[in-house]
Amino acid sequence: MTPAYAAFGEVEAERRVASAPLSHVSIELGHLYMEDFQAGPERLREQFRQVAPWAETMRASWRARVPGGRARVSTCFLIDDYFSRFSTPSELVPMVLEAAAECDLTIDYLARESACAEADGVKLARLVEDRLVTDPPPGTDGSRPPVTETGWLCNGARSPYGGAVQAMGSARGWEPPAQNAKRRHSIFVDVELWDSDSRGRTWSCPFLAAVWQLLRLGLIRNDGELPVRPVPRGPSFPANWDELPAVVQLNPAAAPFSAYTTLSVLSTRFLPVELAVRTILSQVFVDAAVLRQVADRSGGEGIPLPDELVDRISYIFLGA
Amino acid sequence: MLVMGEVRTGLLQNSGEIPESLCQGVLGLLSGERVRTSRRPIVYAVSPDQLTGVDCRLASASRARVRGVGTVLSRASVTGGRVLQGSSHIQVARAESDHRLSWSHYLARPGVIEVFGKVRVPDLADGFADSGGWNDCLDLGSVGERFMDVVQASPLLDRKAPFRSARTRLRWVAVAEEPGREGPGIRFTLGRDRVRTLRLVLPDGFTPDVVDFCEDLALHDWLLTTLLVIVERARVGTATRAEVTAKLAPAVDHLLHLWMPAARLDDDFAPLWEALERRPGFTRQWQSLVARVRDQVAINTLALLREAGGW
Amino acid sequence: MLVFAISDKGGTGRSVTSSNIVYRRALQGSDVCYLDFDFGSPTAGAIFSVSSVARGTTQGGMHRYFEGRIADPHRIDIWAETDREGLRAKPPGAGQMVLFPGDEGGGEFSTVSEEMLLRCVRLFTRLEEEFDLCLVDLSAGRSFAAQMALAATARLPGVPFRWLVFHRWTRQHIIAAHGLVQGRQGLLAAGVDHGHDGETLADHIRFVRTAVLEPDAAELEGLRETQKAWLNECDRELRELARRYGVGRTSMLGKIPLDPVLQWREQLISDEDVLSSQIANAETVAAFDDLAKKIVDDSAWEAL
Repeated sequence: MTPAYAAFGEVEAERRVASAPLSHVSIELGHLYMEDFQAGPERLREQFRQVAPWAETMRASWRARVPGGRARVSTCFLIDDYFSRFSTPSELVPMVLEAAAECDLTIDYLARESACAEADGVKLARLVEDRLVTDPPPGTDGSRPPVTETGWLCNGARSPYGGAVQAMGSARGWEPPAQNAKRRHSIFVDVELWDSDSRGRTWSCPFLAAVWQLLRLGLIRNDGELPVRPVPRGPSFPANWDELPAVVQLNPAAAPFSAYTTLSVLSTRFLPVELAVRTILSQVFVDAAVLRQVADRSGGEGIPLPDELVDRISYIFLGA
Repeated sequence: MLVMGEVRTGLLQNSGEIPESLCQGVLGLLSGERVRTSRRPIVYAVSPDQLTGVDCRLASASRARVRGVGTVLSRASVTGGRVLQGSSHIQVARAESDHRLSWSHYLARPGVIEVFGKVRVPDLADGFADSGGWNDCLDLGSVGERFMDVVQASPLLDRKAPFRSARTRLRWVAVAEEPGREGPGIRFTLGRDRVRTLRLVLPDGFTPDVVDFCEDLALHDWLLTTLLVIVERARVGTATRAEVTAKLAPAVDHLLHLWMPAARLDDDFAPLWEALERRPGFTRQWQSLVARVRDQVAINTLALLREAGGW
Repeated sequence: MLVFAISDKGGTGRSVTSSNIVYRRALQGSDVCYLDFDFGSPTAGAIFSVSSVARGTTQGGMHRYFEGRIADPHRIDIWAETDREGLRAKPPGAGQMVLFPGDEGGGEFSTVSEEMLLRCVRLFTRLEEEFDLCLVDLSAGRSFAAQMALAATARLPGVPFRWLVFHRWTRQHIIAAHGLVQGRQGLLAAGVDHGHDGETLADHIRFVRTAVLEPDAAELEGLRETQKAWLNECDRELRELARRYGVGRTSMLGKIPLDPVLQWREQLISDEDVLSSQIANAETVAAFDDLAKKIVDDSAWEAL
């Protein structure tokens, strides 16, 4: 008699991860803050005029790279409704769209910044915070909990400070902070992730921007599901920001919102913010199953992706 | 190939076993990630994988200074709603650069530690296996144990454990079979202070099932160790029957039904378990202890019946 | 269970009594450990006659653990490592007896940082998993160690704890013991600051009288009648004082008679010391045994 092999599987023991539709590149055409809005529509038009040629260059470069020139490129635009609330979607969105159209730019997707903190009941920022794996300074052997300052994240070892000293023991003098991956000299970065007061926690702009990048790279899951799906625009825009979906699809013919890579065209004033974003992103541990999914898809298309997330993100910084 | 890990095992700090429904809350160490459970042949729940960054010396038998950078992969699990384990492991790889790279490089390789310079597998394997007393060297046990602490501190547990017990430590090293070196095999050593070491030579290289196997072995070693202590403390033959039975009761209530070696393991590991069953003979010893416990309880029951005038 | 041993003044015999309680409890079959939190003077090893750590350990003890320099503090299996022959064989049925010594050359800390507190919480949680009784020997007087103990237990609502306040049977000691508990920045006030409920905390504090000389003790046989009368009067006054200060009978868990062995050589008293060499008094051992039982006996700790 031959031995019998029994196969047994249990649904709860297996893990399923939804996959996101993916473009080749997601181009961020701009980021609107209260001060930009207050400066009037001309400021916006000026910004779009500067962005347009870069967006076109990126589009052309992907067309050249993909067989048959069938590059999937989507564009997006982020409006800050988290740190300050101004105007209403019904008033503001048409103005933005009009300014873009004047510069021959199509905005495919419009997103609200507060969605990066919480979208459709899912606390995205918390999901990402839980996935931070701190960059260990030399000498970190696992025997002690990682050194953290609540609400902060850095790329090295902070200057030691006071702390408990034993009686009749010697106290330590000042020592400089150090970057872990330094090449002789350090560029030490310490990023505030959030602060809190009586109303609760407020996430910092770089932290939300890091969540934003991860969303655009299609790398966030909640219980294996995609936490945010773009919602097609209705006939009109609501009078309240909370009624606007997290991500609105403005262009019905648009390529998918998430993409293998991202490009952000930004003013140089965002340079420090993006350094902070990269400091955060280089310490986010994305679900290995999700990474594998994306790598398999891109590999199947003959488009190898860099292993490291931060290498999938590009910028163009424009002077004032 | 060189994979090293440590499993720490202890009693979940709750009065009774926890139901499967509570496992999600107790082991949900990562928001947005489900705790995976399986019910047959015993309820088993495991937390999502956790990563911890390290940059430190690796213990080596020759005391050479070996520096490694990378991430440790850890998870916590609860078996039978009763036994908690914290498990961590890493794979050793040679670094391609001679200096430390940006952290994103290491994060893209979860569970891998890159060592600067040549990797001398036997040196590192021997070093890790007896790295107990070493300071400032990679400490996988503490990493896993912190996740155990998080679980034990869960407000869902009542902290009223039915008996006291020490956590055990199983340190394991797995290397690939190589021509000219020792063949596939397993070596299990009982050390001092509840430290055990396990050395595996694997014919087919590393798979995640190796971790399952080590955790399963650690679980059963803990069960055996714990039952031995309970039986020893019961002072069979010296203390009164009632005292003996009272001391043995927690074992009957909480431990005896948990023995299920190799229950969830891949068939490839069956020969390894079989080897351990021959020597040291885990199940033999367990069954003999269980028989002793049951006999004591039975004798006491008979005595009570007789006193009560039953016969 | 966590038991904290504290005294206001030095020289109360706090450490030697606590060590003997731990020893008696182990003999009674419990798994016990003794943590040396007397950071300024880490000499618990001497009482247990473990000469390798008589002045603290060099292998990473309490100090280095609290500084975050080691993952686990050095632990010593007293049954295996004590120098006293008579103690070296663990009697059948006895529990584990483990010492966690301080570091050799270690000093009192200058503050309790949040990190230290977290380490303390972690240590207590882990030890509670393994031991029936964890006796934490604090130094005399108000200390950072005591503050840390109060703060850590406030964060561990599921872990039972009790405090023993040691004092000698003298006027000065009674007043001092009362002050340590009830006084400004005393245990109760500091405990409430750290989140304890004052009344509940008070219910978890009991006094232990040490080096007590009973007026009817055998040692006093040879005294003149006038001396006996005077002693009786002193004792009556002390009892009245103790009652007024809340250190009286109802809040007392036990008393340890004056015993020369404890005065001259602070050590564990084994049954052999009483029975064969007869250097110690049987009453002393009985008092330790009694305390070791009462410490875990809930009826001795019912609300006052």
